[in-house]
Amino acid sequence: MKYQLRALIAEITHRCPLHCVYCSNPLEMQQRSAELSTEDWIGIFRQAGEMGALQLHLTGGEPLARADLADLVRAGRAAGLYLNLITSGVGLDERRLDELIGVGLDHIQLSFQDVAEASANEFAGTRSHALKLRVAKMVRQRRVGFTLNIVVHRRNLDRLEEMIALAAESGAQRVEIAHVQYYGWALRNRDALLPARDQVQRSIEIVETARQRLQGRLRIDFVLPDYYAKYPKPCMNGWGHQQMLIDPSGRALPCHAAGALPGMEFSNATERPLRWIWEDSPAFNRFRDESWMPEPCRTCDRRARDFGGCRCQAFLLTGDAAATDPVCTLAPTHQLVENAVQHANNGSAGEESWSAAWVYRTDPAPAEKITLREA
Amino acid sequence: MSDVAPDRILRLAPGCRLSSAPGQEDLLLIPEGALRLKGPARVIVELCDGQRTLGQVVEELAQRYSGQDVGRIQTETAELVAGLHRRGVLEYG
Repeated sequence: MKYQLRALIAEITHRCPLHCVYCSNPLEMQQRSAELSTEDWIGIFRQAGEMGALQLHLTGGEPLARADLADLVRAGRAAGLYLNLITSGVGLDERRLDELIGVGLDHIQLSFQDVAEASANEFAGTRSHALKLRVAKMVRQRRVGFTLNIVVHRRNLDRLEEMIALAAESGAQRVEIAHVQYYGWALRNRDALLPARDQVQRSIEIVETARQRLQGRLRIDFVLPDYYAKYPKPCMNGWGHQQMLIDPSGRALPCHAAGALPGMEFSNATERPLRWIWEDSPAFNRFRDESWMPEPCRTCDRRARDFGGCRCQAFLLTGDAAATDPVCTLAPTHQLVENAVQHANNGSAGEESWSAAWVYRTDPAPAEKITLREA
Repeated sequence: MSDVAPDRILRLAPGCRLSSAPGQEDLLLIPEGALRLKGPARVIVELCDGQRTLGQVVEELAQRYSGQDVGRIQTETAELVAGLHRRGVLEYG
């Protein structure tokens, strides 16, 4: 097998106390009743370890919403995997944190929505910012890897300097400043989220200055919005090249968003061996090599570097998952992205009353009361 | 920055550890992925255990690799250690 599984991303639940306007979960989420059992997950982790995977990212929804999280961490470590918890921090107290570290948690990635409390709570659709600050303090008092993840966009990018200061004070070793990517919920809210060109330009300068100032204290990883790139991102480092995502119901996907692609049959890890899904399933092989590529990708010098970009973005914007990612300036459909960028740079671009226009991520729990506000 | 004092105690930063899976190549697992350790690098990282100073690590290596030039062991170990420190993987106590 030419492609080695490196990382397993386990979306162990879609339940989440946050309702972020750019959530990377699919629009149609898995209900609690469909979630895999502890034993199912343990079997999946063991198989991933046997296949030579190195890392296990436990994510959600909010992974802390599962009462068996410590058992899952322990099982992942027993399978030889590096254990990363991707969390909002909601549901974490000192006792639970100690328990997770005690059973082998290697690293915590704590998300922040902003540095300004009111805005952070607005983007998250819930009052969670103050709690996150307390969780950061708890984490830094313990010996565990610690990364802050701050999602940036049009409405908070101008506070980037303060965000980096927050990260530096938090005691984290590393901060990921990641632009919203426009799938699912974020695509619905794109007009409100896509930054203007001068905001992006300024953010690059701020990050460069901060990197020099904080060298040796804080690593800064910075993800630019691909709408402003000349060429597309090498999404997931290639479809089925290194990573596999298992959704709460056991469905195995090449990435977070692939479940929305039409005409694809994604196997369930409770029904098929993980190795078969990785090596032989039609879905994981669909965009793996270069045979699917249209022009201009097929003859492009960059095809081994960016793999034609993102299949999900191609589908969401053009309706065809096998099209060149329209982010690419060479793509025949690039105008679609250009239009969105022009809109974002068009004077005020309707800055008034955003909060009335957000579409908030809903929760899969049927009992949850949700106010869905359409733009 | 690349001149580490020999009395500094060395240890891996939180979130960084050697891979323990049997049969796996020599990897240092870190939050962003893994670093492949070549040649004596694995032994050096193993010796950065939060107990030994850089000087003691070099002494230990000189014993294990007797016959090698101690000056060279010293230089190359200090370089590896400084590189891992810059990467945020190794802490000085």
